[in-house]
Amino acid sequence: MPSWSSHLLTEYFAAVNAAADEDSAIRSAVERATEMVEAEVGAVVREGRIFGAYGFGPVVPEAALHEVAAGQPLLTVPYVGELHAVSNPLGSETGDALIVARLAEPFDPAERQMLQGMGQVLGLALRSIRVLAAERHLRAEQEQQATSAQTRQRLVESLLTIQRAISARRPLPEILDAVTGGAAELLGGATVTLMLAEGGPDRRLTVALKHGEDESPPESLARAAMAGGAVLVRPDGAGWMIAAPVRVTGEMAGSLVAHLPGVAGRQTEQRDQLAAYAQQVSLALTDARTVEAVREAHHDPITGLPNRALFLKILNRVLASRVTDADPTSVLFIDLDRFKAVNDSLGHDAGDQLLALVARRLRGCVRASDTTARLGGDEFAALLHDSPAEAAEAVGERVVAAIKEPFRVAGREIFIGASVGVAISRESGQESKELLANADLAMYRAKKDGPGRVLVYQPYMHAEALDRLSLRGDLQRALRDGEFRLQYQPLIRLADGRAAGVEALIRWNSPTRGFVSPVDFIPIAEEFGLIVDIGQWVLETSALQVAKWRRDFPDLGLNVNVSGHQLVHPRFADNVMRALAIAGLPSSAVTLELTESVLMSEPDLGKSALNVLRGLGVQLSIDDFGTGYSSLAYLRELPVDELKIDRAFIARAELTAEDLALVRTIVELAQILGLRVVAEGIENAAQLSALRGLGCGYGQGYHLCRPTDPEFMPDRLADAQVESPVGVLDHRSTA
Amino acid sequence: MQTNPHRWFGVGQSSAADSRKAGAEAAAEAIGGREAKAVFVFASVSHDLAELLRGVRMEAGADAEIVGATTMGEMGSAGVTSGGISVAALGGDGFTVQTRAARIDRAHPREAGAAVAEALHDMDDEHKVLIMFADGLTGQPHEIVRGAYSSIGASVPLVGGFAADDRNFKATYQFYGDEAHTGAVVGLALGSDGPIGIGVAHGWRRIEPPMIVTKATGPHIYELDGEPALDVLLRRNNFDGSAEEFFDRGRSLQPLGLSRRSGEDIRVIHSGDDEARTVWGTADVPQGALVWLMEGDRQSLLDGAAWSCTEAVARLEGLPPLGVLAFDCGGRRAGLIEGGLEQEIQAMRTALSDAPFAGFYTFGEIARVRGALGTHHLTLVTLALA
Repeated sequence: MPSWSSHLLTEYFAAVNAAADEDSAIRSAVERATEMVEAEVGAVVREGRIFGAYGFGPVVPEAALHEVAAGQPLLTVPYVGELHAVSNPLGSETGDALIVARLAEPFDPAERQMLQGMGQVLGLALRSIRVLAAERHLRAEQEQQATSAQTRQRLVESLLTIQRAISARRPLPEILDAVTGGAAELLGGATVTLMLAEGGPDRRLTVALKHGEDESPPESLARAAMAGGAVLVRPDGAGWMIAAPVRVTGEMAGSLVAHLPGVAGRQTEQRDQLAAYAQQVSLALTDARTVEAVREAHHDPITGLPNRALFLKILNRVLASRVTDADPTSVLFIDLDRFKAVNDSLGHDAGDQLLALVARRLRGCVRASDTTARLGGDEFAALLHDSPAEAAEAVGERVVAAIKEPFRVAGREIFIGASVGVAISRESGQESKELLANADLAMYRAKKDGPGRVLVYQPYMHAEALDRLSLRGDLQRALRDGEFRLQYQPLIRLADGRAAGVEALIRWNSPTRGFVSPVDFIPIAEEFGLIVDIGQWVLETSALQVAKWRRDFPDLGLNVNVSGHQLVHPRFADNVMRALAIAGLPSSAVTLELTESVLMSEPDLGKSALNVLRGLGVQLSIDDFGTGYSSLAYLRELPVDELKIDRAFIARAELTAEDLALVRTIVELAQILGLRVVAEGIENAAQLSALRGLGCGYGQGYHLCRPTDPEFMPDRLADAQVESPVGVLDHRSTA
Repeated sequence: MQTNPHRWFGVGQSSAADSRKAGAEAAAEAIGGREAKAVFVFASVSHDLAELLRGVRMEAGADAEIVGATTMGEMGSAGVTSGGISVAALGGDGFTVQTRAARIDRAHPREAGAAVAEALHDMDDEHKVLIMFADGLTGQPHEIVRGAYSSIGASVPLVGGFAADDRNFKATYQFYGDEAHTGAVVGLALGSDGPIGIGVAHGWRRIEPPMIVTKATGPHIYELDGEPALDVLLRRNNFDGSAEEFFDRGRSLQPLGLSRRSGEDIRVIHSGDDEARTVWGTADVPQGALVWLMEGDRQSLLDGAAWSCTEAVARLEGLPPLGVLAFDCGGRRAGLIEGGLEQEIQAMRTALSDAPFAGFYTFGEIARVRGALGTHHLTLVTLALA
């Protein structure tokens, strides 16, 4: 029976509150609590004495009860046995507690939570009875008594309303609204805010509900109440802030915070009242949680789709129930492109909305009998019954097309994409996990070929994946054993043929693989997170090297390529500055090269790091300019100093009018923005003279100078110093 | 007939119209010429109770403790009677018996419970149980049982039943010695050197959705879910008519189940007021409680009976039952009328392997074995002796 315990608290509350004096409140509380959890015995420890002992018969084991109040979990009752005991504080400051003990079995978390609530409710009732008695004793005004009694009655009524809503399983927002509204009303015009922690590692607190006009309370107070597990009262300007922790199945889940205007003196009562409401929130959330838990165990809460576990279960069943191998079962592994950018720039809520919309479109791409699932993050899957490869590929194409259409999220049009891998099971006895893993591999391969593709799994992909894994191991070893080295390629000022700087280029000659191109190993290094260490090594090594050369060539600059993965590393700016400081290289001599696609896919990431570095004098270059999405907005937003025209624009041996027009446009754009322009991939004299004619300031390429080992570099640089304006450093390329 | 001289148990029933004769007949059958230590008498209020007890005493002898209650029907191994008498008797050196009686002060009902618990005083038998018979119309049956429990504690189990008066709801009687009292509690502490087993089961199930008792005092329910309670009950039963009609037709008893850890704590609602739109039963329904309407078909009620007996016997440490006292709810009887009663008796006979049993249909049952709660409704409580 789910959450039976949550049904009982207000019944108990009503009984305890009906008591006219402390003794009967205690007796009533002990007996109800004992009966409700089917315990044999109960008692209250208050101010060092035992009250309301129930179920012990003639001899009450007082010493043992004090031990339970101090935390002892077992209570020995003569002629009955050893009972599981639980002690529930009556308030936050004192050692007073409501104790119950049961023979049958230990108390479960839901029972403990309810009993904690019962202890608090009793403490509240006792304090208000004592206040009332004191008032009587002092012959205080009749009026005040009436108010206090009235408030208690209103509290009971208000809690009954909420309890009714909880037991009828009214929608959770409605219940929580009744709680904050009820508390705000009872506390006489207070602003009551419910702050709940979100899932995820950082457990952010968000305002779930607010009743009243005042601003949302500071998160720090809510967090303090959660951390201490107790109600907090703090003066706040002219009034008071009270924060009561909210628990879900015993774990801290948030805080109920009240902001009360003016008037000191009733904080203890108000604190207890807020605590009673917070208890109701805990109960409502716990109850909702038990209902949800069953569903959540198998469904993704954001999209409502089956989760990975359920998907695999269904897939297993389908695979096991196939009669013949003739009806193939297909699995689509769907990975969203650019989802992370949406999540990072528009926030988690927008990201979640987008996922829900994607889920809906996915469902529209398959038959009703097929299964779609969210595997986690931005990964989805579909299980297609009786689907041969061609049909599954067609569904994959449909998915890609559907996801490519713009989504409307948070009032904006969002463009994302999807890459799809397909795996088909023909063998009987194939494992569901294996099939899904194959589809994953196909998706990976599809994504590598560029976004928005559909690929069917082939065995070679498996070999490729294994190779990637071994490549990762080799890369780790390469870094450790110093297998990497650097070559340098000068950037030539086209006006006078002199070297303005050098670009550091990484090379890997693996003892087992031979020479491996950066094009092949850099993506792997990025994928497995090795790029940050490799990038740092490049920066440190090249900075030391260039600092050395600058003794002879004082104006020589250094260009270093930076991966997007380095850029988003939280210590990126520090790492760069440390490397330069160690080398003794001024920051103004360094230009970091970023590819256009990195800047486009992660528009906001690393922006702050780049601004910090720019502020310290480091320059920024856009590599492969013109190959990306040609959004020029970032040229205005980012602190860019240099554009490198991609070699694709000047690849032809003889440049056409169109090529020249494009290059001219870029050069003119750079001039308008006050940026340096570097033409990459100059391979012959005709290209060189054409670019010089267009006003392009700098050039790089085999015709000018090949990438060179560092030991030969000083000679090359010296040559350039005395060369004619033609500025050819590497005569081999012109041979 | 039992022949074990160390501990014996016997039952008898009578439908004789003459009260003294009925008492004597039933007692004679139960006692079978042995020396009785305790005689349990369950009889209809329609009898001349003084005459009936006189008849019992003639057979029981001067030293036997006589206890019992008026009923809403009597049961025994031979079957169910209405307006009759059912008697159980026990004796032998293995049993010890002490009794107490107390008048119920309506302002302090638990004191009477605590007073009869004194019957256990100085009793040091290996196995003990307090058997209670109390007036079922004082309005606070729970308090009486709590009074007994608070006095004796968890080390001794409690069983018994609340006296009824057929279906009059006017005055019930409790038997103590040669007298029939009203507004009283009678307690018989039974000690034994053989094991004692207690079974509790009902066989009702919830009808969703639950309701909150938004306004109630004692056994009176004014509002359910903020609506007049009678309106809610009539609507949930699809009944169009007055309270009197509603409670008079077969469905007469409305069981309400209070949410509890291992099931429901059942209350029986047996009357309503057309003017005030309220309903009430014999036991208090706490304001704020979550309650379900309960339903029970014949089979589940019969299963409940069998389960109660099986549970009681199972606690006899492997020994066969010497005999059983049964406290069955009048509400169950209403649910089993028209042939079901005979089936219930048959189910009990089977579950008890034909061990003799006697008991009555009550206004509420008493049983506390585990936990602290000792009051029940629509339940069959069985006390098996080995």
